This record gives sequence, C-alpha cells and structure tokens, in this order.
Amino acid sequence: MKRALLAFLFTGVAVATLTFLALPIIAIFAHTTPAHLLDQFSNPVVRDAFVVSLKTSLIAQALILLFGTPTAFLLATRRFRGHAVAVTLVELPLVLPPAVAGIGLLAAFGRLGLLGSTFDALGITLPFTQTAVTIAVAYVASPLYVRQAIAAFEATDPNLTAASRTLGAGPTRTFFRVVLPLAQGGLIAGLALSFARGLGEFGATIMFAGSLQRVTQTLPLAIYAEFDRNFDATLAMSGVLVLVSVLLLLGLRIGLTWQRSPSKKSLYLFGPSASG
Amino acid sequence: MRRPNRRLVVSAVVALTVVLALAAGQASARPHAQVTVYAAASLTDVFPKIDANQKYQFGGSNTLAAQITQGAPADVFASANTTLPQQLFSKSLCSKPVVFTRNTLVVVVPKANPAKIRNIYNLAKSGVKLVIAGPGVPVGSYTLQILKNMNLSSPVLKNVVSRETDVREVLAKVALGEADAGFVYSTDAKTVSDKVTVVKVPAWAQPKVQYGICVVSKSSNKADAQAFINKVLSKAGQARMRQYGFLPRVKAVPKKKKK
Repeated sequence: MKRALLAFLFTGVAVATLTFLALPIIAIFAHTTPAHLLDQFSNPVVRDAFVVSLKTSLIAQALILLFGTPTAFLLATRRFRGHAVAVTLVELPLVLPPAVAGIGLLAAFGRLGLLGSTFDALGITLPFTQTAVTIAVAYVASPLYVRQAIAAFEATDPNLTAASRTLGAGPTRTFFRVVLPLAQGGLIAGLALSFARGLGEFGATIMFAGSLQRVTQTLPLAIYAEFDRNFDATLAMSGVLVLVSVLLLLGLRIGLTWQRSPSKKSLYLFGPSASG
Repeated sequence: MRRPNRRLVVSAVVALTVVLALAAGQASARPHAQVTVYAAASLTDVFPKIDANQKYQFGGSNTLAAQITQGAPADVFASANTTLPQQLFSKSLCSKPVVFTRNTLVVVVPKANPAKIRNIYNLAKSGVKLVIAGPGVPVGSYTLQILKNMNLSSPVLKNVVSRETDVREVLAKVALGEADAGFVYSTDAKTVSDKVTVVKVPAWAQPKVQYGICVVSKSSNKADAQAFINKVLSKAGQARMRQYGFLPRVKAVPKKKKK
C-alpha cells in the first residue's frame, strides 16, 4: 500500500518535472509553424546570424579538438604535481558565469588587457572581431569536450595499450591505432556536447566580441537583439537552436546505444562515474 | 523506532519545501508599498537618488517595453523616448505618458584617445572602432538621426564594430578602452568623466530627446506608481535630474505647438 503510494508520488513528481522542462520548448514551436520558421531564413538577420554561429562554432570545435585531445590524454594518463589544479582549470569555464568569462577575456586579450600591448605590437586587435567570438566560444565550450575526453582516455583498457606496445607498435602508432579508436565514442560525445554549448554562447561573446550583424552577431545575440523588434525572427532562431540541440543529443543517444559494449564504459554521456 | 523518525524528517522537509515555495510565490504576488520601476539605462544613477526605496530595473527602453508587453511585473515605465511608452499606451498597456526630462547626445572617446578623434567628422576616418546602440534602442535611433542630419551616415556607419543593447554598454566599451568612440547621452559621459573625453555633437544636429514616463496598466499598485512619477516631476525631483545633467522637461516653448 505504502509502496504503491510512493511509486505514485515518484511518477507524479517525474511527470511534473518533465512537463516543466518540455513546456518552454513546446511553446517555441506552438508559436510558429515549420513553414514560417523556414520563411525567416529569408530574413538577412537570421541568415547572417546562422552563418556567423556555424562558422565560429566549427572553428572553435576544431581548435578544441586539436588542443583539447592531447591535453586530455596527458591529464588522463599522467599523475604529476598540480594535476588536480590542471583538471580544475580545465573544468572552470563550465561553472564560471559567462559574464565573468567575458570580463576575463577582455582583461586578458582586450586592448588594455594583459596581452593587449603584445597583440598591439603585432598589429592584432581582438575585441569586436569574429576571432573574438571564436575565442569566447572555445573558452566556454572546451570543458565539455576535455572533461569527456579525460574520462574516455581513463576508461581505455591499459592492457590493450600494453599489448600493442609489446607487439612492437611505437607510442605514436599505439596512440592513433589503439587509444584513439578505443576512446572514440567518448570523444565524439564530448565534441557534440561542446558544440551544442558553443552554439548557445551568449554572455562572454557579447562582452568580448560585441554584436554586429554579419561579423560577430551569433544566433543567441541576434535572438536578444531582435527580441523587442521581431518576435517571429527570435522564435525562428530559437527553433533552429532547439532543433540542433535535440538532434545532437538524440544522435548521441542513438549512436551510443548502437555502439555500446561492456568494455566501452566511456561511452556514457558524462563519463564512467555516471554509469553506475 | 528509528525508521518512522527518519520518515517523519523526510516528510517534514518535503512539506517545508512545498510550504516555502508556495510562500515565496505568494510573497511575490502580493501587492507591496514598494513599486517596481522599469527605467532607461541612462537613468541608472539619478533615479535611486530621487527615491532610494523603490525597486529598479534598468536596461534598454526597447527591451523593457518588450518585457512589459510580455507581462513583466513593472509598475512604472520610464523610457528614453516618448515613442515606446506611446506605443504601450495605444495598446492600453500603460497610462498616457508624460515627458519628464530631456537630454542631448555626445561622442565619448577613451582618455588615451587612440584614434585621435577631435570632432565628429573624424569618426569617418578609416579604422576607427565605433560602438553605437542597436537600432531599436532609443539612443541608437538618436545616433542614426544625428548622422543623417550631418550627412555622415554611410562613412561613419561603416566604422561601427558593435551594436550594443543599451547606452551603458556603449559607454562601458569606450570607458574600457576597447572601442575608439561611442555615442551616448551627455549625462552618461559625466558618470565616467575620469575615463572618457567628450566630443560635442553640434546643437543643430541634435535630435529631440524626450523621456516619457507612464504607469503600467497591469500594476497592482497604481497609486504608489503615480506617487513615484509625481516625485520625479516635483521640484526636488527635477532639481536632482538637472544636478545629473538632464535638461528641464520643457524648454521655453510657444504655448501652442504648431505642426
């Protein structure tokens, strides 16, 4: 009797939670039709924002992949003094308020920032450029990839790497032919999450890069700028972002179930710790 | 003996959480003597000096107007133009707006003045990083009017590197030294006079900058909202506005306006 009551309570709470989470998403699409959504793509503001977002996000993800992977591998396989500090540093942007990240980026790379005079001597000004958007996105989105990559590398079976080495493969070959394929699922998951997070970047971008159509105005910035002028456009852009996020997460889920095998614990979305 | 106790604690915590959540909801729904004032960003410094006891939300007037349209819990709306409150009024979302102050625009440059801006025409030099407010923000549309009046629209607008969401964002980007110049109200420039230098905009090119204020129709506290507006319009309120560099709400105008 009591168990039934408890089950009933839990179900009730779960339904309330899911409704709360789903309602804003449903509302976005309730206000607009797919045809209307596509219509908005003839609006130059929407189109330009889409292009800026896509371009900066792709470049940022490439950088995250290029720099994040070796860093994650090192942090996953070596223990050294300051290891905990390094991991904290990697994770920090995840919990930092984006506005703080924006201020930090300005204080570091702005014209009057720490490295400002260095950049100035080189003839480079970062604020208000598309490069600044990319930097902001990379800064804020990187932890989602690097964290996941560390977890993925930690979960690779050391016996397999050892076997590869005893069979005569060099460290480079072992890394590319054994470690990377083993960690692949986790890396892709991390990349997808960090891509989704990067697309949504707002606070750091508006502070560090400003907002200018065709140059630095990403989809979230355009949503904010158009909010009071063209509600339809903001709904359309929000719809696009929701769709992209849903597709990424759903694709990830499906990909993971499809690929999952007992030895590949790293394939869980948030690392092996969440799999228990 | 033990288990019921724990269960009791758990249910007590749950009950308490629910009660607190409900109470919080109640508290915010109940009318209170304090009024919520949605005001243009340029009023950030002066309004709390006129009345420190109210709740203020400062931002781009256009954003605030949009939020009020969406049902934001504002009692008073003070806009940096008269069009936005007029629009709300025509949709019966607020009372008939009254003009409560006026302002002028200036160009601000960082003290170091890296782009060597001495007058407004210098803004057309290539490579100048100019920051202005977005076109929907009152100060943004005033900026466009000035440039149009001076026939500078195309050469100057090509130097715009960012369109900010309110006037204080423009000011911050210049005060930080990230931008070479920005259009703000003269009253904003005064707030950071140690960080920026003012470049005047000629009087003949100035747009008519009038601030409108109204009581939001959905306010549950209209009497207090009106009392706040009266305070702003009062002699003391107006003196305070002037102290911060705002202009008297009416200049000596002919009795009947001609149009």
